[in-house]
Amino acid sequence: MTEPLMLDVRAELRKGGEPLPNILKAVGSLAPGQALRLIAPFEPVPLYAVLGRKGFTHTATRRSDGHWEVLFVPGGAPSAAEPPANGDCWPQPRMFLDNRGLQPPEPMVRILEALEQLGPGQVIEALNERDPLFLYPELQARGAAIRAERTDAGIRLLIRRAESVP
Amino acid sequence: MVTLSNRHSRWTLPMLACALVNFLAAQGLMLGGASWPWQSVSADGTLAAVHLLVIGWLLMLMLAALFQFVPVITARALPSQRLALATFIALEAGLAGMVCGFFGLGHSPALTLALPVGGSAVVLGVALALWNLSVPLLGTRGLTLPGRMLLSAECFLVLTLGLGLTFTLAFAVPSLTPSLAPLLYAVGDHALAGLGGWFTLSAMGVSYKLLPMFMLAPEDRGLTGDVVHLLASLGFALLIGAGLARTWTGSHWLRILQSSGEVAVVIAIAIFLWDILRIYRARQRPLLEAHNRAAVGAFALLGLSAVGTIGLSATGRLEQDAPLLVYGAVFGWLGGLGLTQLYKIIPFLTWLSRYGQRLGREPVPRVQDLVCESRAYRWFALYFLGVLLTSVAVLRDETVGLRFALAWVALATLGLIREYWRAWRAHYPGICQARSRPTPIIADP
Ligand code: HEM
Repeated sequence: MTEPLMLDVRAELRKGGEPLPNILKAVGSLAPGQALRLIAPFEPVPLYAVLGRKGFTHTATRRSDGHWEVLFVPGGAPSAAEPPANGDCWPQPRMFLDNRGLQPPEPMVRILEALEQLGPGQVIEALNERDPLFLYPELQARGAAIRAERTDAGIRLLIRRAESVP
Repeated sequence: MVTLSNRHSRWTLPMLACALVNFLAAQGLMLGGASWPWQSVSADGTLAAVHLLVIGWLLMLMLAALFQFVPVITARALPSQRLALATFIALEAGLAGMVCGFFGLGHSPALTLALPVGGSAVVLGVALALWNLSVPLLGTRGLTLPGRMLLSAECFLVLTLGLGLTFTLAFAVPSLTPSLAPLLYAVGDHALAGLGGWFTLSAMGVSYKLLPMFMLAPEDRGLTGDVVHLLASLGFALLIGAGLARTWTGSHWLRILQSSGEVAVVIAIAIFLWDILRIYRARQRPLLEAHNRAAVGAFALLGLSAVGTIGLSATGRLEQDAPLLVYGAVFGWLGGLGLTQLYKIIPFLTWLSRYGQRLGREPVPRVQDLVCESRAYRWFALYFLGVLLTSVAVLRDETVGLRFALAWVALATLGLIREYWRAWRAHYPGICQARSRPTPIIADP
C-alpha cells in the first residue's frame, strides 16, 4: 500500500493564504487508495465535509505542539448530507467559512458578505468560535433561515438564503 | 440546537448619553466647589455629587451595558425592552429627586421628602433591571464565570439600595429617625457594598468577558477565575457583614472579621490583576485596540486603590482618607474602565445600527474606521493623569493645584465625549475603503 501523501498547510496559512486549492490539488493527485496526511495549525473542520463528500473518512489527532494532523483515507461511499443538522431537505452548502480566530464582528461581516453572493435558497456553512448573537437579527431581517449547533470545534452554522431575495 | 431571535437593546445608547451628562454634572458640582474636595463628606453637595456619580454615571452605564451584553453572555434575549425603558426613566427621574432631596436636607422638609421618593424610584428602576437581567442569567445552565460574578454582585447591589433607602427614611421621616439612627453609622458599609461588592465585582466579571473577546484570548479562566470570584465575594461579604454587625453590637472582635475580609478582597484583586495581565499576554491580536490599551490605566488604578487601602489601613488613616479611596475607585477604576470600554461599545453599536442592514450588500466602513485612536489615546492619557494629579493634590492639600487637576479631568472627559460623539456621527470614515471580498471555501463545483 502506498504511503499517505503529506501536506503541510501551516506556512501557507501563516502567510494569510487560502490552502484549499492546494489541498484539492493534492487530493486530485492521489494514487488510487492513497491517503492524505494533512498538517494544519487548527482542526480543519470544514474540510471534513468537503472531502467526506468525495468519499474520504478522517481521523484527526492533536499533536503535542498543539497543531493538528488529519489522515484522510479514501474508500467508502461518498458521505451523504454531511452536516448533521440537515434534517429536512436543505441543499448542500455552497460555501464553507472558517471564522475561528477572527475578531468580532468580522465573522458576522464575512457571513453576510458570503450570504449575499448566494442564489435564492442556497446554503452556506460556517464555523464560528462564538455564537454570533448580533448576526441573528440581521439574518432574520434578510429572511434567511439559520441552524446552529454547538460542536467541539465551535458553533457550526447552516444559513440558507431566502427563496425570494428582498 | 440554538434557535434565537435576539434584538439589540434599543435603550443602551440613550442611557449611555444620559450617563455621560450625569458624569459631567457631578464634575460640575466638584469644580464649582459645592462638593468634596471643598466640602465635607457629609455635605449636601457631596452627597448629591456622589450619587450623580454612582447612580447617574456608573449604575446607568453598567445597566445600559448589561442590557446589551447579558443577552450576548447568555445567548438569551431580555424579557422586555419596555422594562429597560422603564428602568431608564425611573433611574434618571429618581436620581433627580434624590439630588433635590440632598440639597434640601436640614432646611426644607418638603424637599427632603424628595429623597425617599426619588430613592424609591431608583430602587424600583433597579428592581426592574435586575428582573430583566436575571431571567436570562438564571435561565442559563452552565453559566460562565462572568455571569456568575454578576449574580453575586447583584446581591450586593440589593444590600446597597436597601441601606440607602433606610438612610433616606431616617432623614425624611422624623418618626422613624430614632429607631433607624444607629444604622446611619453604616454609611461606610453602604459605600463598600455599592462600590466594592456591586461595582467592583461586576466590573471584574464584565472585564473577564470583554477583554478576551476583543483580544482573542482564552476566555476560560479555570480555577483562577473561580478563586477571584469566591475570595472577592466572601471578602466583601465579611467586610460588610461584620461592619454592619459592629454598628449594632459594637463588639470589637468583629474588627478581626473585617480585617480578614479586607485581606481576602486585596488578595482577590491581586490575583485578578495578575490574571488580567495573563489575558493581555496570551492575546492572539498583537495590536491592542485603544479601548483595551487605555483600560490598563483603570486596572492600574484598581491596583493602586488596593495598595492605598493597605497603606492607609496600616498607618491608621483609613477613616480620614477614605474619600480619596472613593475618588480613586469611582474616577480611576470604575469610571476609567467605563470610559475606555465605551470607546468600543459606542462605535460598535453605532456601526451595527448604521451599517448592519447594508453589510454584504455594499461597501461599508469597518468598526475601526469609526474611530481615530491616536486622538483618543491623548485624552485617555490626560484623563488618568488628571485623576492621579487630583489624588496627589488632595493628599498634599494644594488648593490651587486641586482646582487645576479637577479642571484637567473635566477637560479630558469632554475630549473623550467628543470622540464618542464623532464615532456616533460617523465623522471619521469620510472615504470608505472598498472591502475585500471574503475568500470562502467553495464546495466542489
Ligand atoms: C450603587 C449605588 C450606590 C452607591 C455606590 C452609593 C454610594 C454612597 C457613598 C459612597 C456614600 C457616602 C457619601 C458621603 O459620605 O459623602 C453614600 C451615602 C448615602 N447614600 Fe448612597 N450609594 C448608592 C445608592 C444609594 C441609593 C439608591 C440611595 C437612596 C435610596 C442612597 C442613599 C444614600 C444616603 C442617604 C447617603 C448618606 C448617608 C449619611 O450621610 O448618613 N444611596 N452612598
